[in-house]
Amino acid sequence: MSEFNHERPLIMHIDLNSCFATVEQQARPMLRGRPVAIVNRRSEHTAIVTASYEARAKGVKVGMRFKEAKALCPDIVALESDPSKYRYVYHRLLDIMNDYSAHVTMKSIDEGVIDFHDSPAAISGRDLEDIGREIKQRLKDEIGIWMRCNIGIATNRFLAKTAAGLHKPDGMDIITPENLRQVLATLELTDLTGIAKHNERRLNSVGIFTPIEFLDADVMALQKVVFKSVVGRWWYERLRGFEVDDVVSDVKRVGRQYVLESFDLTHDQIAKRLHHLCESVGSRMRSQNRAARGIYVYAKTLQRQYWHVSSLSILPFYSDQTIYAQARRLFDQAPGDLKEIGIHCYELEAIEDDQLSLFNDQIVHERQVTGAIDDINKRYGERTIHSANTLGTGIYVSQKIPFGSTRYL
Amino acid sequence: MNDETFLHERVEVIAIFGQGHHPCRPLKFRRASGREINISELGLHHPFGQGRKTLHIFDVTDGGADYRLEFDSEQLVWHLTMEADHYERI
Repeated sequence: MSEFNHERPLIMHIDLNSCFATVEQQARPMLRGRPVAIVNRRSEHTAIVTASYEARAKGVKVGMRFKEAKALCPDIVALESDPSKYRYVYHRLLDIMNDYSAHVTMKSIDEGVIDFHDSPAAISGRDLEDIGREIKQRLKDEIGIWMRCNIGIATNRFLAKTAAGLHKPDGMDIITPENLRQVLATLELTDLTGIAKHNERRLNSVGIFTPIEFLDADVMALQKVVFKSVVGRWWYERLRGFEVDDVVSDVKRVGRQYVLESFDLTHDQIAKRLHHLCESVGSRMRSQNRAARGIYVYAKTLQRQYWHVSSLSILPFYSDQTIYAQARRLFDQAPGDLKEIGIHCYELEAIEDDQLSLFNDQIVHERQVTGAIDDINKRYGERTIHSANTLGTGIYVSQKIPFGSTRYL
Repeated sequence: MNDETFLHERVEVIAIFGQGHHPCRPLKFRRASGREINISELGLHHPFGQGRKTLHIFDVTDGGADYRLEFDSEQLVWHLTMEADHYERI
């Protein structure tokens, strides 16, 4: 296959770029046109989660410490993240997208894809650029006048996302076989989604330094030499506009991490924060009707060392009590000087009915108590009931922006 | 960090309940001190679930400061929960 995909471009990628900063500027009109940074914590050492376009124009980048950002942009305003606002905007965007197709996939809290292949009625003779303009206007009408999005249209998800990144903010671009080379000529390898430093090195090692050279590479070379797997063929097809990314991934693990608010906490104080994470992970897992058999606890030290340990059980577990008991046992082996802690539950499986547990009073009791706590928390709000051990940890380990998976939005 | 004040002050609000994408629009509110604030723009309205209870949060401005009003849909009362006027640096 050396030809490009010549079918009509029917994939639309929508990206609310600088989403959280834009939403804050929408909510707080006094901040519009000013450099804004969204942070997770009120301190100079906090890292920037999102920066507005005004801040980016002055060199502020995501991940940068606020102190550094302030040096570059002295009038920058830092706001603590407000996830409920962003969740609301996510749901409004999803509602709008669902009006056009039954095949909508949200890739994260601020971006999603509409597949128009099975939506002839929604298109009804219109071109996708016209629909894109309508979606942009609906965002302004239904959420607020400051809302903007980038739209990319192509024959597959990869090129649609690439197109959405070409003219930020508020851009709209189409990639077709006719302009593909012209578009790729303006990009670096690492501008392509999925090509970070590691893959760039792989490509460089065989003399591929630009997206155009990547496009012109032989499929067998990509498959046998560069990626040494079918991934090479996928890249060959992806770059030509054929769909290889329309896959639904199952939940494989549920986890949370936390950067300690202070680096002089005792082991027991850190364990309380770990307990809070366990309660949060347990609640998320049960909301998906999942139990786990594996638990993985990790930590990063001030000396930038990574410590981790895991264990696998025969029986699945899902109560906060069991998750913490296992995590605590593992965490007691952790080194000192910790900076960050995290926990994942893995080997997930559906929570089974009580039938198998009828002969085990303890398991039935645990299930009933956990169910009752979840019911109360659903009715009266998160963490209405939680362990006494995590009293007071909520002000530190509060729920932040859920990047990546949209399952818990 | 910024000149944001977080509070939980009961306020009296005049609002319009109409049609369209933003059916509830607060127009004016009176603070406990008696000061009246005319709302020039509704920035964002979003619901916030507290268990089965829903709070409706309205981020608004009078052109000089931003305010956050919360409407408790169960108790039918309004609270002013945030005001921010000139967003100073950390």
